[in-house]
Amino acid sequence: MIIENYQHKMAAHCESGSITSLLNYAGMKITEPMVFGISSGIFFGYFHAMKSFAFPTFIVRNKPGQMRKNIEKRTGVKFYTKEFKNQLKGQQALDLLISKGIPAAAQVDFFYLDYVPSWERVHLNVHFIVVIGKDGDVYKVSDSYFPHLVDLPADSMNKGRFAQGNMSPKGFLFYPGYVPESFNYEKAIRRGIKKACFNMLSIPIPFLGIKGIRLFAKKITDWPSIARDTEHLSHEVMKINILLEDQGTGGAGFRFMYATFLQQASEIIDKPELKDLARELMEIGDGWREFSLFAAKLGKNRDLGPEKFQHLSNLLYQRAEKEEDFFKRLSKTIK
Amino acid sequence: MKEKDVLAEFPEQQVIVYIEKEDGTYDAIQTGSFISANYIDDFFLKRKNLEKALQEKIEKREINAIGYYMIYEDLTISELAARMGLMKWTVRKHLRPDGFGKISEAALKKYSMVFNVASEEIVSRQSGNRK
Repeated sequence: MIIENYQHKMAAHCESGSITSLLNYAGMKITEPMVFGISSGIFFGYFHAMKSFAFPTFIVRNKPGQMRKNIEKRTGVKFYTKEFKNQLKGQQALDLLISKGIPAAAQVDFFYLDYVPSWERVHLNVHFIVVIGKDGDVYKVSDSYFPHLVDLPADSMNKGRFAQGNMSPKGFLFYPGYVPESFNYEKAIRRGIKKACFNMLSIPIPFLGIKGIRLFAKKITDWPSIARDTEHLSHEVMKINILLEDQGTGGAGFRFMYATFLQQASEIIDKPELKDLARELMEIGDGWREFSLFAAKLGKNRDLGPEKFQHLSNLLYQRAEKEEDFFKRLSKTIK
Repeated sequence: MKEKDVLAEFPEQQVIVYIEKEDGTYDAIQTGSFISANYIDDFFLKRKNLEKALQEKIEKREINAIGYYMIYEDLTISELAARMGLMKWTVRKHLRPDGFGKISEAALKKYSMVFNVASEEIVSRQSGNRK
């Protein structure tokens, strides 16, 4: 069976996209940028040496699952959530939801999704898809990263839902159990922005927020000494572009989507200053895009000398400076 | 960012990008992935070279087939151990060039599930008899 009236729509990001889509289905009219902004999705973190990552990496959004939790706190929506120890019970629970006509988001490892092209497949335990039907042993899936509904065999769905490792999904499912008829947009927007500013400016951890961008700027010059060889280094440098542009960010590491949120928020809470800040963030995002395109070009040309890494580092320091100034002013504006 | 600056032709991988429209408002558009549209051949070339380099390492007994897939799939020992549900030292033992023969059938099956390849493929990669 398939839940007929569920409307599949592509989105910039899997978690904000799934939440938006499920809330829209449940009757709440809300956009993806608004979900992203209210849930304080914008972020930065740099991880130079972590046991789970084979090479230094960075993140540009808050912790997986946090968007859902923040939306609950700030809008009054209540999500039904469930993890499973037993794979069979996890599958039965998903099948039961489908049979009841309830679309649910499932957390999966991206690597096991057969419909994803080979070049995109990576082990990533925090991808979210919405399951809207099942025909025999094949699930019908609404994945925000694909223009159309896709099919996923039950075996692959189970592999994805029950993959182990860092942030393992444990069969996690969620769907909105209660959606209020209305909520206080102004309060939710203000709380979302305040928390985002705190995350970017004030978390006392040296690799998070603006400090994380600066650490990235400092450490990127070490990358050549960490890579196995030139092609590995080229691959990792080009991944900067993928992480900022391709891996579900809406462009420029979510900066364009957050700017869209600020523009929408300025109308809703009638605060024109937010519109100016939105424009400014779009320009900051252009700088991130310039950085990521430059990285992709260096990788492609194997132009990976120390002066190029120094240039990448300088571009990152500029981003840190611009964002620090931006978030400080955004924080004052919303007080 | 204006629409014209982000458009890329790559139907196999579509993405959503937020852009500034002519009227100054921001909205989402669907386009092809820029990096895939421009650099996908380079990605495949690097993958092919990596595959070859790792296979040579197996032949020189510097790594074994488990090490091959671990590197190929960008996993660390720590992450692989967590995905296998094994202690790190056990995985380290399995990763030794001479450790492959000591891997139990059940563990090999689990490795094949984690790497999403058939057990037979792992074995044939180890023995160098890959088709």
